[in-house]
This record gives sequence, C-alpha cells and structure tokens, in this order.
Amino acid sequence: VSSGTPPLQGAPKPHAKALNCPKCGAAITLRALGQAVSVVCESCHSILDAKDPQLQILQSFDKIISPDPPLIPLGTRGKIRGTDHEVIGFERRSIIVEDTRYYWHEYVLFNPYKGFRYLSEYQGHWNDVAVCKEQPIIDPRVSINLEANYLGESYKHFQTADASTDFVLGEFPWEVRVGEQARVTDYVHPPRVLSKETMSNEVTWSIGEYMPGRDVWNAFHLPGNAPEAVGVYENQPSPFSTNITTVWMAFAAFATALFVLMIGFEIGAKKEPVFHATYQLNRGEPKGEASFVTDTFELGGRTSDVEVTTSAGVQNDWIYVNYALINQDTGEAWDFGREVSFYSGYDSDGAWSEGSRNDSVVVPSVPAGHYYLRIEPEADPRHSTIAYTVDVKRDVPVSAFYGLGFIALLLPAIVITWRSVSFERSRWSESDHPPSPIFNTESD
Amino acid sequence: MFRKIYLIYGMLVLGTVGFSEYRGMSLDTMNQLKNVPRSVRDNPGSYRSVYSGYHHYTGGK
Repeated sequence: VSSGTPPLQGAPKPHAKALNCPKCGAAITLRALGQAVSVVCESCHSILDAKDPQLQILQSFDKIISPDPPLIPLGTRGKIRGTDHEVIGFERRSIIVEDTRYYWHEYVLFNPYKGFRYLSEYQGHWNDVAVCKEQPIIDPRVSINLEANYLGESYKHFQTADASTDFVLGEFPWEVRVGEQARVTDYVHPPRVLSKETMSNEVTWSIGEYMPGRDVWNAFHLPGNAPEAVGVYENQPSPFSTNITTVWMAFAAFATALFVLMIGFEIGAKKEPVFHATYQLNRGEPKGEASFVTDTFELGGRTSDVEVTTSAGVQNDWIYVNYALINQDTGEAWDFGREVSFYSGYDSDGAWSEGSRNDSVVVPSVPAGHYYLRIEPEADPRHSTIAYTVDVKRDVPVSAFYGLGFIALLLPAIVITWRSVSFERSRWSESDHPPSPIFNTESD
Repeated sequence: MFRKIYLIYGMLVLGTVGFSEYRGMSLDTMNQLKNVPRSVRDNPGSYRSVYSGYHHYTGGK
C-alpha cells in the first residue's frame, strides 16, 4: 500500500495496491487502481497493463531511457480548484518546429470521485487541463479550421504540430507508449487553450486554463519557488490587454476635461490691458543711459500672471529690452530680457524669413499691487532709431500648460498600448500565424 | 491596477494644469528679486539687470 501520506479529504480510503514489475521485480504502486490503464515501472521504465492483475508488459526498453524527474513528485497531493488531487503520472512530450525540438511536461492528477485532470508545463508556464465536456465546434465558414467554438467562446487557431511522447512515469488513463505520435492542434482564447489531439482515428478535446507557477507551488505545497516563466506562452493572459480600452476611454475623458478646462480659463481669464506705451530708442545715446521707468499701473484681482508684449518694426535688425517689473509697494521685482528680431530675404530657395516683430513673455504669479516697468533697451548702434511698443496684460491663459497636460495624459496610454501590442506579437510569433514585422529589415 | 493608477495620474495632471492656470504660473524663466530699493524709481540706471549684456543674434539666413 502506498506511502504514509494522509488520505484525500472527505474521500474513502484510496484504492491503492502494491505490485511488482514482471520485468525487473521492482515494487509498483497503483494509486488509481481500477481506473488507470497503464502504469510505468519507475525502475526499468517498462510500461505495464494496469488493468491486468499480472501487469502484462506493454512496452519495454533495451536500454534505460534517460529519466526526466518531474517538478511535482508522483504521490504529491494538492488542491486544484477546490478539489484534492494526487499526482499519479508524468510524461515528457515534444514537437519539432523548424528543426528545433520543443519539450513540455504533463502531469496526470487523480481524485477517486472527480477522476482525472492534468497539469501541463512549458518553460515555467502552467496549465490546468481537463477533458472537454462537450464537443467544440469548428466553424466551417472559416477556412482551414482557424477558429473553434467551445461553450459559446471563440478560440483562434494557434498551432498544429505532431507531438511525440518521449518519457513516461506513473499511471495513465490510456494506453501510453513512448514514441507514440499525435497531431496536436491548439486554439487559444487567453487565459484558456483548447487542444485537439488526434491519434489514429481517436480525437480528444481538452480545455486548459493558464496557471501561474506560484499557484501550482501553493496548491501542492512544494518547497522553494516555481521556476521563472520564460517568454510569453500561447494562452498566457496579457497583463495589459484588459487595460487598453479602459485606459483609452479614460484618456478621452481626461482630454475632454482638459479641453473644457482650457475653454473655461480662456473665457474666465480677464486679459485686462493695464499698460500700453510706445517708445523710441535713439542709438546715438551712450549705453547705460537708455534705461527709464514707466508710469505706475495697477494690477488687481487675485495673484495671477502678467503678459508683457514687445512689438518693434524691425527689418533685418534686432532690439533687445531688459525689463524689470517692480512692485512699488513691496520692492519685489521680476527681471527678464526679451529680444525682438526679424530677418528676411531671397536666396536660391526663394524667399525666406525668420524671427518675429512681436514677442510675449508671461510673468508668473504676480500679486495685486502698484507696479512699474524699468526698461533698458539695446540695439545695434550702427543703425538709426527704432520704435517699439510695450503692452502689459493682466491674467492671460497659458496654452502651453494644456499642450503639456495633453502629452502627459497621452504618454502612459501610448506606453501601455505599445507594451500590450508587443506582448501579443511575442505570443503570436510562436504560432503558425506569426505577425508581419513592424520594420522591414531587408536591404535592397 | 494600471487603470486605477492612470485615473489617479490623470486627475493629478488635470489638477496641476488647473492649479497652474489659476495661480498664473508660467513656463518662461525669469529672475525674481526681493527688496528692490525705491530709489530705482528716480534713478533707473542704478538698477543692474542680470540680463543686460546679452549676446544678441545678428545673423539671419
């Protein structure tokens, strides 16, 4: 009788029986007595008929096949979807794609009341697999079986390949053989995978659901950590895809709110002209005596910005104005310099121009009070006098904020979309339907 | 999870834009000074702007 592990919860005593291998004499434990069809001797790896009381040899090997120890030892018990199961069988299978052999592992789980279910593992990706309760429907309208439907859910064809069984251990509810071939077709609808296995004339459909390795480790109370998953698996749920639509909806809502905010401030801003004057710069005057102060003007209302606009009718010329906006009452000042320059002409490309005859600057967060400007203009002393106008407006909207806000909202949505697309491309690059490359790297 | 983070982030962006506009903030850089003497009003040349002596572009294409 099998090991000293406790009986399955709520279940009667499992039907287990100890026998001996007819080939090598090693002890064999039948954990699913009466339900297993094949059992493999752990010593000589002979495959035996579990239904036969004499354990007739179904397949034996001249040389010892290389063992491939299961990550979950046979006899381990765990709870999958609320039901206790015991690991009773293990097999390694493989497919060859473009001359490369890819291996995966399958574990046979057994519960005396619930029967069999399976765990499959490929490079750290796990699936909880059960035989389909009803026959999936292949849509005849879709060419070459590209779509399957199961319990009202549509599955996309992922891959069809010939799988071979390379190594077996424990008990199986079918007549397992090393070297047996099956045509396996997978359809995916993450986190589920629908698999069709065709062997001779027998077709078996199974449905799997992706399980993170840590869930398997927790279910079977395995020591250490589950092996790290490598790459993206065919039915691995994308951590991004469910977010994309909602993120873009949220982006649209935020962009609308930003637009409403902009309109609101545009309408609500006073844009109040508080100062206007035109001056002439006489370049004959020595530098250092050109500075002067304006009349006092009042900035009312709450603390808000002030726009200072300089306009000059320059042509292939410049004027630079040093400004200081000074609070007459507190002595607080904002010091800044602005240049107005405009150049134009003709060359072999035609007419060109650069610069502008107007310049605006926004002085931030200016409290209410009485202010004046200290102005110190500069210009090229080789040229004649130049006229310039100074305008001051109180409380103007700053459109750059909305541009920056829009970009700040847009960037995360683009990043999450890009990552989601990359994830799906990684998934499908391993399928029979790889995505076309984004960038054509072929050279002429 | 990301959706929640994005919602919070989006509201922060909107709040920052709204607050910046309301407080009259600006992206332009300038030098802010305290306690400029009242004598500047009568003698503007006594004030020394940090921006004077700027090297001007005199080119064109």
